[in-house]
Amino acid sequence: MNFESKIRQTISDSDRTIDKEQFINNLTEARYKQKLKRSQAISGILAICLIIIVGIASYFELDQGAIYSGGNFYFSDSNISNSDFDEYNLNNDYYIDDLAIYIIEEEDDIWTAFSFLDEIEYDNFINYMEEES
Amino acid sequence: MKKDRELIQEFQNGDEEAFNELVRRYLDLVHGFFQKITNDEMEAEDLAQNVFIKLFKSLKRFRFESEFNTYLYRVNANTANTYFKRNKWRNILHLDQTDEPSYVDNQQDREWKKEELWNAISKLPKKQRLVVMMRISEMLPFKDIGNILHMSEGTAKVNFHHGVKRIKVLLGIVE
Repeated sequence: MNFESKIRQTISDSDRTIDKEQFINNLTEARYKQKLKRSQAISGILAICLIIIVGIASYFELDQGAIYSGGNFYFSDSNISNSDFDEYNLNNDYYIDDLAIYIIEEEDDIWTAFSFLDEIEYDNFINYMEEES
Repeated sequence: MKKDRELIQEFQNGDEEAFNELVRRYLDLVHGFFQKITNDEMEAEDLAQNVFIKLFKSLKRFRFESEFNTYLYRVNANTANTYFKRNKWRNILHLDQTDEPSYVDNQQDREWKKEELWNAISKLPKKQRLVVMMRISEMLPFKDIGNILHMSEGTAKVNFHHGVKRIKVLLGIVE
């Protein structure tokens, strides 16, 4: 007996029958499971993409303007421009002027007003008062 | 009885029962092939299931450029090859536990276990392994093996010759 026949003989005793209908049922079940897994994976990927898109859109929306939520407007810090800040400073000047006038009127001693303005280093007003006097 | 071609065409038109008929027709061949390789009923059934799942997907695009038989053997060979790759480490570990090839009476009548044989086959280079596998388990002519594995009949013969020579060395058979 040659070597090829011998190895064939070694493996030939392994033929067994298999229940074909049971196998087809198992096969159908396995196919559906695979299909389900694939559709779940696709849904998962789509959900992640959607979350990323909404996240990016929200970030840019917050960055560009106010969002109205719960009856309030919410602004991000980047909305305060330099011009707004200047206006704020200008209003602040008027406030200090009013405060200084109030102190002068209320206090008998004008130097109290000066020392206050000196304390807050409000040079404009001091210079103005010096010029006036 | 419908021909394979008709069943495939019906399946391509959406009839899943035609596919089931193909499974019934070829299950013994596919299952038998993997049972010889694995020597394990459950594993053979799993591999056969993998083959038919692959077929279910690929037959929808089958263009009848080759015989269905040839195509099926090709899927079998690829699945077996993946099986051998996957079990590379397991086979190595298994070999550690395997006894030396056993002597019966003299050197000419030396017998070996099926596991030893498949372990030796799994150690062959890919082409030799596939040719030896198709030849000894399916008893296919070299011309058909060449068709299945996209090689000439001569190349299949040469690969088989080298494969068998190597198996003899691995099994400790001295001529």
